[in-house]
Amino acid sequence: MAILEVKNLFKSFGKTQVLTGIDFCVEEGEVLSIIGSSGSGKTTLLRCITQLETPDSGLITVDGEVFFDGSNKKIKAAEKRRRQRMVGLVFQNFNLFPQYTALKNVTLAVEMMAKERPDYKENKKAIQKEIRDNAVSLLERVGLSDKMENYPCQLSGGQQQRVSIARALALNPKILFFDEPTSALDPELTGEILKVIKALANENMTMVIVTHEMNFAREVSDRVIFMDNGVICEQGTPEEVFDNPTQERTKAFLNKFNE
Amino acid sequence: MSFTEQFPIVFQALNTGFLQTVKLFFVTLAGSLPLGLLIYFAARSSFKPLALLFRAIIWVVRGTPLMLQLIVIFYLPGMVFGKAIWGSGEKGRFVAAAIAFIFNYACYFAEIYRGGIQGVPIGQTEAGQVLGMSKKQVFFKVTLLQMIKRIVPPMSNEIITLVKDTSLARIIALQEVIWAGQAFLKGSQGIAGEIWPMFFTGVYYLAASGVLTVALGKLEKKLSYFSI
Amino acid sequence: MNKKIFAVIIALCLVVAIAFAACGPKDPTITPDDPGTTAAEDGTTEATVADESDLDYVLNKGVIVVGITNFAPMDYKEQGSDEWVGFDADMAKAFAAELGVQVEFVEIAWDNKVLELDAKSIDCVWNGMTLTDEVLAKMSCSNAYCNNAQVVVVAADKAENYKTVEDCMELSFAVEAGSAGEKMATENGFKATAVIDQASALMEVTAGTADAAIIDSLMADAMIGEGTAYESLTYTVPLNSEQYGVGFRLGSDLTEKLNDFFAKAYAEGKMQELAEKYNVGAALIAQ
Repeated sequence: MAILEVKNLFKSFGKTQVLTGIDFCVEEGEVLSIIGSSGSGKTTLLRCITQLETPDSGLITVDGEVFFDGSNKKIKAAEKRRRQRMVGLVFQNFNLFPQYTALKNVTLAVEMMAKERPDYKENKKAIQKEIRDNAVSLLERVGLSDKMENYPCQLSGGQQQRVSIARALALNPKILFFDEPTSALDPELTGEILKVIKALANENMTMVIVTHEMNFAREVSDRVIFMDNGVICEQGTPEEVFDNPTQERTKAFLNKFNE
Repeated sequence: MSFTEQFPIVFQALNTGFLQTVKLFFVTLAGSLPLGLLIYFAARSSFKPLALLFRAIIWVVRGTPLMLQLIVIFYLPGMVFGKAIWGSGEKGRFVAAAIAFIFNYACYFAEIYRGGIQGVPIGQTEAGQVLGMSKKQVFFKVTLLQMIKRIVPPMSNEIITLVKDTSLARIIALQEVIWAGQAFLKGSQGIAGEIWPMFFTGVYYLAASGVLTVALGKLEKKLSYFSI
Repeated sequence: MNKKIFAVIIALCLVVAIAFAACGPKDPTITPDDPGTTAAEDGTTEATVADESDLDYVLNKGVIVVGITNFAPMDYKEQGSDEWVGFDADMAKAFAAELGVQVEFVEIAWDNKVLELDAKSIDCVWNGMTLTDEVLAKMSCSNAYCNNAQVVVVAADKAENYKTVEDCMELSFAVEAGSAGEKMATENGFKATAVIDQASALMEVTAGTADAAIIDSLMADAMIGEGTAYESLTYTVPLNSEQYGVGFRLGSDLTEKLNDFFAKAYAEGKMQELAEKYNVGAALIAQ
């Protein structure tokens, strides 16, 4: 069974229709890249799935649980928060919390969640240690074991983005979403992010990546979706989409990139 | 009377006056800092009539001189209701002055809060949200400190201006430090025609703004470990 | 500047008054003819306020609040003392004792004296106040108790050159805003700057920022010339003669009470005694 299912998703801002009937699935352990020109609705799609935007209609399920149902939009704040913790989102411009160290950025949300546990007071020390140890190992995984006590302003863009990946992983999400994770970085820094994503792919993390890095998308993805003007225009394996596109719009888009 | 004879008399009178100045300063801060936040929330309320009312209040308070507000607040109630509502003597003048100052500064602070809160990028809130934090947690754990860092420099400006603005309360005869100094120009306690006590009040203001500058600078430095 | 402020206040008062007239009960000032029925028809709170005379008001609260400025020899403090003394201050204390109430002295900004009365933040102005037409129109004033004149104050070394009003035309003046001195300057067509009080006007002359000042002769006697704080100044031309009185709110019944008290104190010789004490005996007016 697919870990993420999106059915007939619609979203508009005022009179502008941004998503027009999006349908797709992601299997567990799969890496899916979404490509397309600016304004094609890729980012809005991610924001709808991660509940930063409320879609107009459609259905989203994650791991068999209803995540969004267009016919029953009203949900409690606590339930919305529970759902948001099931997925992780890495932003284009990191959005790290500037007043906290790298380590605290990773632990903050987990600590907040832990405080709501009924046994928090009894096992406070043990829980905090567990959270910290987990955060330390996450930062080691993204190669920042020596930067844990640094503040975001003391880190390079690439390092900040790696902290934000560790932060998203801290809640143990079922799917990790990336919104153009390298767009805000200097070209020489993109490599370190792509390396981290590849490593995550090797560990079978389910990931959905909106990206402009065509070569990277081809290399890391199991499947690629090309979006244009709010619809999914074409999808398939990287070879199918990049080497043998069937749609004219896909061809035009790829040609522009290859020029 | 020689200067050395005059000095202790003047010094004591100026200290008494400065005490009023300091009292007015702290009462104003204590009242206007929280009131400013309430006014900010009211002016941004989604209940339109409330928001419009408070935006109009901010406009009137910021658009008219504080001196005029002092006169209106102190004198008008007695004229309208036929009763001195502020109480008699200096206490009444102090209460009226404090209310005028608190209201005036709260409106300025409301605008500073607005700048501070709106200056925190929406991405910060969203990052908190996708990590499953509640609105309250996002405000207190993420937004608040960034907002404080943003408002410290404009706040410092206003606070130092406030020290000097307290002298406006003389218009309703609140006997703050300049009033106390000026008394020796007219003649008071056997000293008349002396301008130096009034000039000397400047030392008090300099000392006060010096202390505040250092304290606020420390706060700013304390928040300088991160950048926004 | 001050006129503008007053204009705005008056505008604000009008707005408030109109608002009250529009939504409140009937406004007594616009009801014509019969005042008796008006009071009866008014709202209860207004009726009680209107029924209470100024004398009752002061007796009920047990204190008379006297608006003053620091003005030797009428109202001032001796060195090292916190008590208001002076001819006016001592008379006010005696009047309060006669009424059987406490006396409270409050320093006010002289400009705002009518406002202070109307706002009831003070009950009378008792501070060597010159009885000008404006004062008489805005306050209920006691009988005159002291003679005074507005005099021109100049630096002593230049006094020779300024003996007449014509001589003074070329001078730039400093006068207290809202004072009889300011009025004199206007009447004589002097170039005058209004400052916050009489002492500031003297300061302007010592500092050279003004050539001359116009102040009360009683004050000039006490404050300038040899052996005083302003040794380098002297006064020359008297511009008028005028009289001091005590001001109450318009329509106040305290005025009559004070006139009676003046008459009694004069008959007993107490008033003369105090006047001698403060060196204003020559200016005292018989009651």
